[in-house]
Amino acid sequence: MEKELLEEGLNHNRRKFLSRLSLGVGSLALGSLLVPDLFSGKKEAEEAMMSALPHFAPKAKRVIYLFQNGAPSQLESFDYKPVLNQRMGEELPESIRGTQRLTGMTAGQSSFPLVGSHYKFNQYGESRAWISEVFPHTAGIVDDICIVKSMHTDAINHDPALTFFQTGAQVGNRPSMGSWLSYGLGSENSNLPAFSVLLSRGRGNGQGVYSKLWSNGFLDATHQGVQFSNSEDPVLYLKDPESMSRSERRKMIDKIAEMNNLNMQQFNDPEISAKVKQYEMAYRMQTAVPEMTDISKEPESIIKLYGPDCLVPGTYAANCLLARKLSESGVRFVQLYHQGWDQHGNLPNEMRLQAEDVDQASAALITDLKQRGLLDETLVIWGGEFGRTNYCQGKILVDNYGRDHHPRAFSIWMAGGGVKSGMVYGETDEFGYNITENPVHVHDFQATVLHLMGIDHERMTYKHLGRRYRLTDVSGKVVKDLIA
Amino acid sequence: MLKISSIRSILESTLFVWIGLTIIFTLAGNSLILPDWLQVFGRSHPILLHFPIVLLLMGLLFFWIPGIDSKPEVREIGEISFLAGCNFAGITVIAGLILAQEEYTGELLNWHKWAGVIVFSGCVLLYFYRSIQAKAMRISSLLLAGGIIATGHWGAGLTHGEDFLLAPMKSDEVELIPLAEAEIFADVVQPILQAKCVSCHKEGKIKGELRMDHIEGLQKGGKSGPFVLAGDFEKSLLIQRINLPEDDKKHMPPKNKAQLTDEELLILSEWVTSGASFEQKLVTLPAKSELYQLASVKFEGKKIYSFDAADAEDIEALNTSFRSVQPLFPESPALDVSYFGISTFPPKSLSDLKSVKDQVVRFSLNKMPLAGVDLKFLKDFEHLEELHVNFTDLDAEQLKEISELKTLEILALSGNTIEAASLQHISKMSNLKKLYLWQTGLSLDQQKSIQTALPETEIDFGFDGKGILYKLNNPIISQEKMIYQDSLELSISHPIKTAQIRYTLDGTEPDSISSAIYTQPIFVSSTGKLLAKAYAAEWKGSGSSEAIFMRSGIAPIDFKLINEPNSKYKASGAATLFDLVKAEAPNHGQKWLGYQDDPMIVEVEFDHKANQPKELSISLLYNEGAHIFPPSKITIDGLVNGKWQQLASTIPSASTSALSARSELLNFELASTNYEKLKITLTPLPKLPNWHPNAGSKGWVFVDEMIFNE
Repeated sequence: MEKELLEEGLNHNRRKFLSRLSLGVGSLALGSLLVPDLFSGKKEAEEAMMSALPHFAPKAKRVIYLFQNGAPSQLESFDYKPVLNQRMGEELPESIRGTQRLTGMTAGQSSFPLVGSHYKFNQYGESRAWISEVFPHTAGIVDDICIVKSMHTDAINHDPALTFFQTGAQVGNRPSMGSWLSYGLGSENSNLPAFSVLLSRGRGNGQGVYSKLWSNGFLDATHQGVQFSNSEDPVLYLKDPESMSRSERRKMIDKIAEMNNLNMQQFNDPEISAKVKQYEMAYRMQTAVPEMTDISKEPESIIKLYGPDCLVPGTYAANCLLARKLSESGVRFVQLYHQGWDQHGNLPNEMRLQAEDVDQASAALITDLKQRGLLDETLVIWGGEFGRTNYCQGKILVDNYGRDHHPRAFSIWMAGGGVKSGMVYGETDEFGYNITENPVHVHDFQATVLHLMGIDHERMTYKHLGRRYRLTDVSGKVVKDLIA
Repeated sequence: MLKISSIRSILESTLFVWIGLTIIFTLAGNSLILPDWLQVFGRSHPILLHFPIVLLLMGLLFFWIPGIDSKPEVREIGEISFLAGCNFAGITVIAGLILAQEEYTGELLNWHKWAGVIVFSGCVLLYFYRSIQAKAMRISSLLLAGGIIATGHWGAGLTHGEDFLLAPMKSDEVELIPLAEAEIFADVVQPILQAKCVSCHKEGKIKGELRMDHIEGLQKGGKSGPFVLAGDFEKSLLIQRINLPEDDKKHMPPKNKAQLTDEELLILSEWVTSGASFEQKLVTLPAKSELYQLASVKFEGKKIYSFDAADAEDIEALNTSFRSVQPLFPESPALDVSYFGISTFPPKSLSDLKSVKDQVVRFSLNKMPLAGVDLKFLKDFEHLEELHVNFTDLDAEQLKEISELKTLEILALSGNTIEAASLQHISKMSNLKKLYLWQTGLSLDQQKSIQTALPETEIDFGFDGKGILYKLNNPIISQEKMIYQDSLELSISHPIKTAQIRYTLDGTEPDSISSAIYTQPIFVSSTGKLLAKAYAAEWKGSGSSEAIFMRSGIAPIDFKLINEPNSKYKASGAATLFDLVKAEAPNHGQKWLGYQDDPMIVEVEFDHKANQPKELSISLLYNEGAHIFPPSKITIDGLVNGKWQQLASTIPSASTSALSARSELLNFELASTNYEKLKITLTPLPKLPNWHPNAGSKGWVFVDEMIFNE
């Protein structure tokens, strides 16, 4: 009897349960109406995340990156190693070299003779930083800059190292640092591209730069770096053809946009809306760019500050001056490349020429930003893609030697934009070969730059081909010690 | 009338609705898109939640009433109350899940959310299995009651802030101290002592007779001597003890206690070096001092603004192609306004900013043409701290307006001419922390006077370039063509406006005294060379720029090359020589005729009815590094009565060093014009001179143009 009662109870409950379950299923269905993507996979959360940028109060609004392409020697610039002079010609101790991989250019050398700097070093400023004699103007602003002597990178050849510095990866399909910042923070001035690129060539052994370095990678094409050239048309294809009026141009752009938008509705390809935006910006750039490149209103003291070379289009000095003008007009990221720093041989002669080309104008840029009250909000970075070996490539002659690529330790400097000033950070061993104190990896450097711009490098990501990418890939730590 | 049992049945059914919705909302996570009315429902979560708490706890209480099983009507009250509680719990959970979409995140939310879902499920299970075993019921009911309280507590934490409940019992709350108010001792040094020293040096445990829990104790010192001596590194026991090797008995903190970190060591050392003050504020230290740099990062650097944010739509509307209006940093009510675009600057648009006048903290109008623009509106910007008006042509009246802005801390006036009267006004802006006065035309005395008037202000007068003598850049000559038919316009310019350009047309070097001063474009109608130099005060004279111009009066009617040029440097054959297009110097690959083994010989014929040429110019390329040298000999022969007769010849001056690629024009006057044809012969250098790295090799001759005139 008891058993039957229980069974009856259970049956009753089961029926009830099932009928009630239908209610539950109904409510499930009702609720699912509120979840549009429940069955179609998760929607990109990127947009929502991007609207929250910057993540915190930025210290810098803009970046000017003076890239010294080819890798200037740290041992002839900022990393003073008298031991190398004392032990000139002696073999680099195995214990120091360790397992460091060498390039094909010196791997076959039977000996690795240490070679000291041909140039004299002196201490400058309150930080008593050592700076070589070929950078006298940089020595003059030493209290405004922060020298990092403990940079290190993963790559040992120019192209991968350069690509690594610019995009956070050694292979070239990722967005450049400037593209990331354009994507994250947009342009301050909607009449100019957020990311501009300027090229110059020095007198030393040159290495190429390629447009992939300022590529938007998988980001929207509007984030691509716009190259300013030294020709009569600083931005190519920007001028209206003769006899085309401004209003005709306007009409044309509006019509094209209309047609593009039709296409957009049909295909929903983001490249189409990027195109519309680019036409629109190009139209506004038609008036903004000539204003920008006009140096006739610059006072004479500016010419003396940057040096008369700044009047010669296409020189490093002219590009530094233009970089200031772009930056002060709200361009988020100005990327300069100066070629010619690859001194495998003939270093004492070539490096002096290279330094002559960049020293005054780099220092001038700092002074100029400062006297306009802009240095506090502009981050300036000076440096190459890696360092150079403490041993000689080829034969040591009295006045001639060369240095191979060295990724384990090299020097860069930064200034303004929330970076501590008058500081030397990090240290290398007495041979200048290994870092002994406060190493800064390229990803750490990138994380720090993003941090100064108010961005958490781990949170600014972009989903592409099924994974989320970021500038610092999967590593990088903000170097808090560098931040003022 | 409804029976109790049917109410119960309805309530049991509805439970499943809530379960279903709970499942879906929990699974959906953050991808819910909520209509507005549901948000209202979600926000009723804090009201709703009181019902289940009361009803469930009441229902659970009934399980504990002794002998309840024998009193079905009492039990019924408990069960109905519990069932109603379950229903309310379901509704509350759903509302809560919706509310969670709004702005709540973090660990606390997760705890609350999942506890709520678990409690709800637990209650439902308990309800349906309520009659299994009294003892199990009681234990479960206890657990559930605990769960309800915990959930409620976490929820309260979300609404009122974490640890709201226990806050009154806690006293050592850490407060965020603004950098401006931080004191070196109280906020930097004291916390280190508190953490690492005080536990042994305090009332009741005064080791070494040193009390470190109050300032008097520190000032008094201990058994072995004074704790600190301002600036005296050696005699301060603090410094001595913390720097002893860890094994030393007197090393502090003692070996087994928590040690000072490197940074703490440095802070304590720097504190003593800087004077070991007990009152000094951190900001009074020089910004570059080590202590300031170490300590300043610990405090809230960004300023917190108390005013209300402007309307987001107003801000949005103010952002245009010429103006950017952005918060200083995310969620800050303070705004940063910048204008861009000189030619598109609409002064009237400044009045649009009224809608955000209370929020504008930083304002940049750099380079905007502000001449004649009324700046009175700036007075309404009550919180304006930073104003950038470099290169804006401000007049005395405008500068006076600006100098009356009392809230300003940073002012950039570079590039505006500042008269003595204006300087007086600016000198009164004692609130300024930074002032930029580069390129304002102030004399050294004036610079000194304003620095004296504003001793606290960091003033930047910038770089004036005085006393630096650079060589001027070469002037820039522009000419439409190099070879022309009738007349040619030549213009010269220099990027430095004050530069004076002097020039010559006769091939002599221009000088700063006697050479002609360039004022307007020059017209030439002959063949020759323009040389120009620039001079300016406070600059060294430039090098000379040169431009070759060639008039070609007579064109040949026929021409023929006797020897073929080298196969690599054929250009367009003989026509190259008479096409009136001057080739660029470095472009020897395509536009020049090149000869090495054979001499270049060309025969030219003219229209005999017209004038025969009397003058001849030959354009040659020299580039010693590339073995391209002046010819060893040039001869010009005329065919007179069927016989070749020499009309001119020369041996060009030989190169003595390798110079960069350049083009040279050699002119010849013919002995007579009575000829039928001309033959021009350029003989390459047979052997490069001894100074050349390839001495002995054959030299090259490169030629691109021949020009004939009367």
